[in-house]
Amino acid sequence: MGRPDLDRRHLLAGLGGLTVAGSLGFAALGTGADALASSASTRVRYWNLFSGGDGANMIAMLDAFRKANPSIDVKDSTLQWGNPFYTKLAMAAAGNRAPDLGVMHMGRVAGFSPGRLLDPWDEELLAKYGVRKEDYNPALWNRGVIDGKLYALPLDIHVQLCFYRKDVLKKADLLGDDGRMIPVTSTGEWFDVLKKAKKVQKKGLQTIGLWTNDQNFQWWFFVAFYTQLGGRWFNDDDPANTEVLFDVDKATRVLEFFRRHVTDGYVIPGAPTGEQFINGAPFTWEGNWSVPVFSGAELDYGATPLPPVFGKQATHAESHAFVLPHQAGRGGATNEAAHELAAYVVTHALQWAAGGHIPAYTPTLSTDAYKKLEPQNEYVSAMDHQATEPKVWFAGSTGVLAQDLGPVVVSSTMGSAKPAAVARTMKSHLTKLLASKNPMDGKTAAQGGAVA
Amino acid sequence: MTTSAETVIAPARVKTAATATVRRKQGFQHGGWFVAPFLALFVLFVVWPLLRGVYLSFTDANISGDSASFVGLDNYREALNDQAMWDALGHSAYFTLLVVPCITVLAFLLAMLAHHIERGKWLWRLCFFVPFLLPSTVAANMWQWLFTQGIGLFNETFGLDTPWLTDKSYAMLAIVIATLWWTVGFSFLLYLAALQGIPDHLYEAAELDGANAWHRMVHITLPMLRHITGLVIALQILASLQLFDQAVVMMDFGPGPEISTRSFVQYTLEQGFTSYRVGYASAMSIIFFVIIAAVALARMALLRNREEGGR
Repeated sequence: MGRPDLDRRHLLAGLGGLTVAGSLGFAALGTGADALASSASTRVRYWNLFSGGDGANMIAMLDAFRKANPSIDVKDSTLQWGNPFYTKLAMAAAGNRAPDLGVMHMGRVAGFSPGRLLDPWDEELLAKYGVRKEDYNPALWNRGVIDGKLYALPLDIHVQLCFYRKDVLKKADLLGDDGRMIPVTSTGEWFDVLKKAKKVQKKGLQTIGLWTNDQNFQWWFFVAFYTQLGGRWFNDDDPANTEVLFDVDKATRVLEFFRRHVTDGYVIPGAPTGEQFINGAPFTWEGNWSVPVFSGAELDYGATPLPPVFGKQATHAESHAFVLPHQAGRGGATNEAAHELAAYVVTHALQWAAGGHIPAYTPTLSTDAYKKLEPQNEYVSAMDHQATEPKVWFAGSTGVLAQDLGPVVVSSTMGSAKPAAVARTMKSHLTKLLASKNPMDGKTAAQGGAVA
Repeated sequence: MTTSAETVIAPARVKTAATATVRRKQGFQHGGWFVAPFLALFVLFVVWPLLRGVYLSFTDANISGDSASFVGLDNYREALNDQAMWDALGHSAYFTLLVVPCITVLAFLLAMLAHHIERGKWLWRLCFFVPFLLPSTVAANMWQWLFTQGIGLFNETFGLDTPWLTDKSYAMLAIVIATLWWTVGFSFLLYLAALQGIPDHLYEAAELDGANAWHRMVHITLPMLRHITGLVIALQILASLQLFDQAVVMMDFGPGPEISTRSFVQYTLEQGFTSYRVGYASAMSIIFFVIIAAVALARMALLRNREEGGR
């Protein structure tokens, strides 16, 4: 919208529509031809949301699977990530046109109506293809378990990291004997580190890239540090789960910590983070998916989990997981092939690790090849102290919770609202969300809507 | 005689009626079939979704298409008490208030320039109109680059260091500037056509009477463009209230710094497709439909009064 229409444009749009319709027709023909040409007896339709480097990695893994399993034809489709993906997946499952295999963020599973939009995994079938519960970090595996059934099979965890430039930190005497950043255990120590780094860094750059005005990143960082303080969200271990346990004081401490980076001049609000890091900024806090970018730029850098400035290790973690979108007649050879494909990708995740993600399948982590990956081997410990969003229907990547609280955290970091006031606002948002009904099953989180 | 007269008249009547029926039939054959495809699509893609939307707005439908239950006016009640919805409406209205006067004045000035300039007339017309042909995503992406702090051409050119896209005091302004550049061409074209339609003899007569350029502008050009100005303003209001794509692309699909650029349309979309509340989103769409219809009707009423007053 945003401007009046013009008839010629309508005509062009119409022609465009015809072209698309035509190409869909051809695509349909193509599918038929594919099926005829392929000797495969089983066909698995697989939807994912991986683009860029992740997309290339996934395609390479699928090709390897095809080569190893000529009897299974994999028809993969890559869709735009975020809400467009979840909308399509929900509607496809609701309309019984769901693909045989899909990918989701773990945090979104509870809100995705397990049992109606998602089918549970057959753990015996998974075991047949080499994936067992024992091969996983228990906390991670349990995130995919709802009402005692496994709905999401984790592929990786992706975490927020503290990237640092070794060349700059060396000048500031901030590297240990092992060539890694010296450990930090308090906010005081952390700001000392920033102060020393700032003295030796290039002028005109920020000291740390903090995504001060990005609602997603600020929210993820908040989850990490709030968890470091032992902060809780709800009494979700109690079946009643009606109480908001959000701790305003702890939240205020976290928000003040963020804000201080701006007031002390270590951040240029709005400045691009990755680019400044490549140009010589000593630090940036980024997702592990930046590893290929920084490695590609041939920087002398390292990456640790976010510093435990509040005493306890915890860094924000989300996971990509395989799911079985709901099909009325799920079962048979296609369903088994979907299990086999997911198990194959999960157990061959070394390739996936090159994209910076930590493989969820723990035997991969102990291989020599993984141990040699730099800087992946430096932050693999993040697997053991994951800070995740609460397991409620409104949580998860780009979900309602992030959308409601992210901008509020930003307003504190950027200085347009006071941290204490913002912490109170966050609590009132959480209270409202806990009382609101899950549109999928009509229950509130307190009524046990899709919580384990 | 009477019988013969009747016999003469009666067939004539029959004939006339028959001809009319034939004409009506032919009329439908010629006209009706031409509009039928449009009508069918209109019903399928406008009327039916609208009715369905009204129905859904009284239910708690979710995105999965499961059967929904009737909730009466609950969605409307909730929407009217939803501060976030009012904020979003405020953002759309603020955008409209900024864009409409600017675009009207700018389009008029550009049209005057292109109309009176002698050399390279076609080039000016092309320059002013071409941005309008860009798809919204292309235009918005371009301006996102231009406005980026640190590396953007906009700050560089004007010697600024303004955080256009990341500070709530500037974000909406950035969207307005991008929108002006991108859409002014359409209104410019309307003005240019209208300017060319003003008869030369009016100006010649005025000149003979000793009217200077300012007089000619105020007493001839502006009054002669009154209708076009009304049209431009009305179209721009309706289009600006529906702010969506350029804002969403420029703000990386988010609600802008501290939710300062989230438009009504964007909030509706979020409710429907992030929160999966199709019933609630439908109620908001209907509310928005009523607001837009009210603006359009108010404008029509205003125009009618003015025209009647003019006579």
